[in-house]
Amino acid sequence: MLHYKLLTIFFFLTISLLFAQDEEEIEIRTKGFVDTYHAFRIKTPNDWLSSRTRIRGEIALSRQNAGLFISLNSIYNSILPDKTGFELREAFMTYSNDEWEFKIGRQIIIWGIADAVRITDIVSPMDYTEFLAQDYDDIRVPVNALRTKYSNSFFNLEVVIIPVSNYFVLPIDKNNPWNIANNIADECLFNLDKKPEQNLKNLEFGGRIAFYLSGIDFSVSILRTWNKMPVFIKEVSEDDYSVLLTGIHKRMTMLGADFSFPIDKFVIRCEVAEYFNEVQSPIFNKLSLNSSTNSLIGIDWYPGDDWNLGIQYSHKYISGSLSDVDDYRNTGMGTVRISKDLFRNTLSISSFVYVDVAQGDIYNRLSADYSLNDQIHLILGYDLFSGCNGMFAIYKNNSELWIKAKYNF
Amino acid sequence: MKTKIGIILSFLMLIALSTKAQIANGREIMQQVKDRPNGDTRYAEMQMILIKKNGSQRERKIVSWSMDVGKDEKKIMFFTYPGDVNGTGFLTWDYDKIGKDDDKWLYLPAMKKTRRISGSSSKTDYFMGSDFTYDDMGSRNVDEDTHKLIKEEILDGKKCWVVESSPIDKHEIYSRKISWIRQECLSVVKVEYFDKLNKLHRTLVVSDIRVVQDFWTKHKMEMTDVQTGHKTLIIINNPKYNIKVDSKLFTVAKLEKGL
Repeated sequence: MLHYKLLTIFFFLTISLLFAQDEEEIEIRTKGFVDTYHAFRIKTPNDWLSSRTRIRGEIALSRQNAGLFISLNSIYNSILPDKTGFELREAFMTYSNDEWEFKIGRQIIIWGIADAVRITDIVSPMDYTEFLAQDYDDIRVPVNALRTKYSNSFFNLEVVIIPVSNYFVLPIDKNNPWNIANNIADECLFNLDKKPEQNLKNLEFGGRIAFYLSGIDFSVSILRTWNKMPVFIKEVSEDDYSVLLTGIHKRMTMLGADFSFPIDKFVIRCEVAEYFNEVQSPIFNKLSLNSSTNSLIGIDWYPGDDWNLGIQYSHKYISGSLSDVDDYRNTGMGTVRISKDLFRNTLSISSFVYVDVAQGDIYNRLSADYSLNDQIHLILGYDLFSGCNGMFAIYKNNSELWIKAKYNF
Repeated sequence: MKTKIGIILSFLMLIALSTKAQIANGREIMQQVKDRPNGDTRYAEMQMILIKKNGSQRERKIVSWSMDVGKDEKKIMFFTYPGDVNGTGFLTWDYDKIGKDDDKWLYLPAMKKTRRISGSSSKTDYFMGSDFTYDDMGSRNVDEDTHKLIKEEILDGKKCWVVESSPIDKHEIYSRKISWIRQECLSVVKVEYFDKLNKLHRTLVVSDIRVVQDFWTKHKMEMTDVQTGHKTLIIINNPKYNIKVDSKLFTVAKLEKGL
């Protein structure tokens, strides 16, 4: 509650700063879109898995060095009525000069160079309400943060403080076709309310220094954080008829680095992070803190003629004893991205595939995006979930055909 | 007999020397075009109109800043229209040295992410669905082509050199191009691009060339794909030269900060 009050005070301070000086006009920029998205299951019972319409409005006010940015969603969701309403996506104030930038408020923070895979990019958590079956940038959960950036011609140094952490949003509502509960067992109950206390010693903090040089980019990052995706301890519930899964978050420290460099028509990307004392999924209810090494190598290929290809492999290695851990020591995930623009960039066809190397399950999002004119896009897509085990396999009955229309203004 | 052979040899040498002089002359003209004074820094607002054969139009708007660093050029541009690309930024460090790939970064505001992209591959791709390639939009080292002065000609009442250029790299999308260069301002006013089959592929017509802050400035460029009938019109608005910007403008930090 305290942070909302502080945020309100800062908003009023920024607004008064913006309006206090009358020698220079306030610059106002607005943009946004209206989109409507509908997806139906291709398997029986061929029901609607998603049906939502949204208006996104963004406004940026700036005057001299001060600025304010607000991004709002107004959503109508006919499958998940709880999601209907207004949603404050981002709302932050900025103060910047040539070298320094201060950003305070609700914002999305993205680190690293991996594509749709999280290695060092663990500041903003994810909203899995519809799992990955939505645009990747829509899945991001904003965090309330103070972010300071110093930049010169050679590097950017960024310091982030998050007083109160946000965590993954997981679908546990039985009416949600993407809920994880139905796909695990009918007798499971979830408790996601066991979050760390909101106090000073639990704040998140960290920094990243990034160099962008001729021929190579590299960065080093560190973050004192939490496992924002909960692990679950399993206990028999009080009624003795169901299993209670309680989400647990524990402190951990991430130390990471990434670099990328071009070679002719290719760009090589590498990212690595050590998660010190990361809590692992327990077999039952005994928690184990093990360090893990998370790494990724990716290659982007720009062959020309509006083709774009990218392939990535990420690997997780958990060190220490795994006697109480319900995970493999080594797990891997591959991704393949292929896109091609046609008819002078009016039609874009793309495919993005996740392959869970350890479990063998896959998720493939295919789409064709046609630009009707400068404002309107029509997008047709197909999400394929396949496999026997793993995070994608639990949605193997959710393969869907979808259509989306988007009007940008 | 010896005299005849001597005359023939002298004649052949004269032809060879004359051809060499023409090549040197063609290159020299193109170098002068490239070296035409345009300030150390530049700003422009660009309107790009894509026109289909049936007359339907699409539009893009871009603002850009550029700065010379020796023979190299740093450039940053942001799309301001249409809405789906509004805020997209593109940073290029364009190197003059042949064989050295440019450094390029793309910032996508929806993803809130900067990604390094290949500096060598996209040159022959068309820029944002237009009839201009990335290479047409940037600056090309004169020695990436061989040049030959064909003739002098009056075009639209102005005296022009006509230079034929052929790319050394056979992967270029044109087999040769013929450029009309207005002698008065050392500016290209017309270019004909020929495809690999030596058929006319695209025609560039530059118009509304005016002096701005003592620098000759192109205000309209129309590229027509004569094989498909599609064309792209670029209108340069509000060009400025020698503006006060420093090298910090041409960094990823600025790219991410946006306009």
